[in-house]
Amino acid sequence: MNGRMSLFLRTSIGVMAAMLAGVAAPVATAMDNSLATGVVRFALDTGEASSVVGLAMKLEGESADYLQARLMLASGQHDKARAGFEGVFNGASHRGEAALALAEMAQEEGDLTGAENWYQQARRTGYGEVVQKALLGLAELARIQGKTDAAGQYLARMEDGYWAAVGYMNLAADFARDDLDSSRALVSLRVAMAMAAKDTDTSRSRALLDQLNLRAGYLALGSEDYAKAIDFLEKVSLESYHTPQALYLHGLALSSKGNHRAAMQSWHRAKKFPLAFPGVSDAWIGMGRGYDLSGYPGQAGESWLAANAAYEGERVTLGKLSERITAEGAYKALVQDARSEDIQWFLADNRTLTQPRMAYLLRFMEEPGAQVAVRRVARLDEMVATLDASKNNLEVFIQALEGFMASAGSGGVAPQTAGLEQQQSDLESRLNGLVEQAATPAQVTELRQLKQSLAGAGRRMGALNEQILQRPERLEKVLDEARAMRDATKDLRYKALSLREQAARKLDALALAFVKKQTQHMTHALDKTEQQIAHLYEYLALENLGEGAQ
Amino acid sequence: MFGRQKPQKCRIAPGIRGLCISGMIIAAMAATSHASSLDEQIERLNADITRHTASVHALEQKLLHPVNTRVAVFLSLANRQALELDSVELFVNEQPVTAHLYTENERSSLGQGGVHQLFIGNLVDGRHTLKAVINARAANNRFVRREIVHDFRKQPGTLRLQMTLNAKAPDYEPEVSFVEWK
Repeated sequence: MNGRMSLFLRTSIGVMAAMLAGVAAPVATAMDNSLATGVVRFALDTGEASSVVGLAMKLEGESADYLQARLMLASGQHDKARAGFEGVFNGASHRGEAALALAEMAQEEGDLTGAENWYQQARRTGYGEVVQKALLGLAELARIQGKTDAAGQYLARMEDGYWAAVGYMNLAADFARDDLDSSRALVSLRVAMAMAAKDTDTSRSRALLDQLNLRAGYLALGSEDYAKAIDFLEKVSLESYHTPQALYLHGLALSSKGNHRAAMQSWHRAKKFPLAFPGVSDAWIGMGRGYDLSGYPGQAGESWLAANAAYEGERVTLGKLSERITAEGAYKALVQDARSEDIQWFLADNRTLTQPRMAYLLRFMEEPGAQVAVRRVARLDEMVATLDASKNNLEVFIQALEGFMASAGSGGVAPQTAGLEQQQSDLESRLNGLVEQAATPAQVTELRQLKQSLAGAGRRMGALNEQILQRPERLEKVLDEARAMRDATKDLRYKALSLREQAARKLDALALAFVKKQTQHMTHALDKTEQQIAHLYEYLALENLGEGAQ
Repeated sequence: MFGRQKPQKCRIAPGIRGLCISGMIIAAMAATSHASSLDEQIERLNADITRHTASVHALEQKLLHPVNTRVAVFLSLANRQALELDSVELFVNEQPVTAHLYTENERSSLGQGGVHQLFIGNLVDGRHTLKAVINARAANNRFVRREIVHDFRKQPGTLRLQMTLNAKAPDYEPEVSFVEWK
């Protein structure tokens, strides 16, 4: 409320000032070209393109065409952007960046041949990160087409760092899927780890290394190389999205080596995480298994019963989540409400991983298409918010302009200028008289300067009178402009809301399918524990029978 | 007790499965085409809204910050490696006017020649004082908080003040140079 009030006051004052300045001429919105280039670059990099569209024509220097093309792309004008980037590529500067942008545009449109061609051009003409991205793009195109050898060759040309690590990780995923033996995949993952370690962005490097170690641990476990698996899994940090799954696999590797007590310690730690994370439901079952294999059937039974209760509870949570998605929409139920506002910033990192809602959001975002669906709704919400802000501002302007026109209609400025004109004329007469009486050269010089100042004041007053005469038309024009913009805002808002509804429906369908899958996963886990409990009772009954027979 | 799971028998006949898969593929293709058409509509709407917002922004600038009283303050970095900018607080005549906390993306853009428009407002002609409080991490891993004061004279017409932040080895002490663009 305060913000709106202050905006209104600020606006009113501004509008009044604008009136007095005769409503700024077009030059007023211009900006020095050297600054404009930097401002446009910053706005493009930070996703605020709409505020600098007006500066497109002011750009100068070697980056001007490239920034203009980026501005076109950011404002949704793909055809113009493509033509712009092609022009830049045929020029002298930013050739690599332009080719990379064209390659990405072609890949998004499904034109793989075009994408490959532009990636090759970007590799040839670019520098630094552009070349790295182009090589990764080429490797990914080759990998998608099943040419893993060609992909490996492109990756081998890359410099150590994040992008090369990502390329090798993807290659390892293909090898793991296609090969019966995990050695090729493990070699790729080891190379990826070496590459990721060279990344200068430490948090990004840490996150990628966690993922790589988890994957390597999983593959080593599948090959029954438990010592290697334990070695990889122990390198996963304890504050990562991958931690619960790593802990579960770590326990599994230890258990396979016969170290059930240590395995149970890992599973116990995994149990602290919400059941939504991969590996947690298995860790609950694992606890019972650990007790059972260690020769404590009573404790095993208790563990499985506790797991049963946890799964039942989770099914209820999932049921409620499903109901909320149906009632409020997935965007609110899953995305917006996961951002707890009461968390202090210094606790946020630790607590977010232990919150079920955040856990489900993170897991949901791994689903194919989920990120695109959420981004669609978020983008449309952002557009609606922008339009709301525009509408609000325009209404304030219109109100202030209408008020000013009503008050200015009665006149008031003309008598003041008449008085000033009279004063100007008197001063000119007095000055002319003094010029005639001037005796010394100093007096002549001083009077000449005074005459110049007075002539300047006279010119400004003439301009002011002209502005006053033109003011009603100018104000009327600005008011019409503001009213037209307000109407256009309403139309665009209606369109944005209609598209948002469609996007939200798609997101809801995806989220409900995800919740259904998770519920099935819980049901399956429940079946497994019930089966274990049944086996345990059967075993105990047979033991009792055996003892009775003796 | 932990024997291997028995393989499950196929519950759907292969022929029916083929039909189901074809149906699923057709449904998936229909869903994809619908999704892409939705994306295209969103892109078109985005283009319209960007153009519209730019017009509203231009009108807003014209009305809120008339040319005679307008003052704009910009921030740029001279050396990306020397300082990792955390935040900037800006005061005009001892009154706080804006504060900005920089994201990694914004820092990266500043390092590549981007210029951040920190503040735009109105001031009467005459002498004024601008105070900037810089919070950053220097290349020698030291956190620094420095106040920089700059006196300037506002004359008729738009005044653009560009602050350029720098820090030189070995002590990486932040320095700010001011350029006044008329």
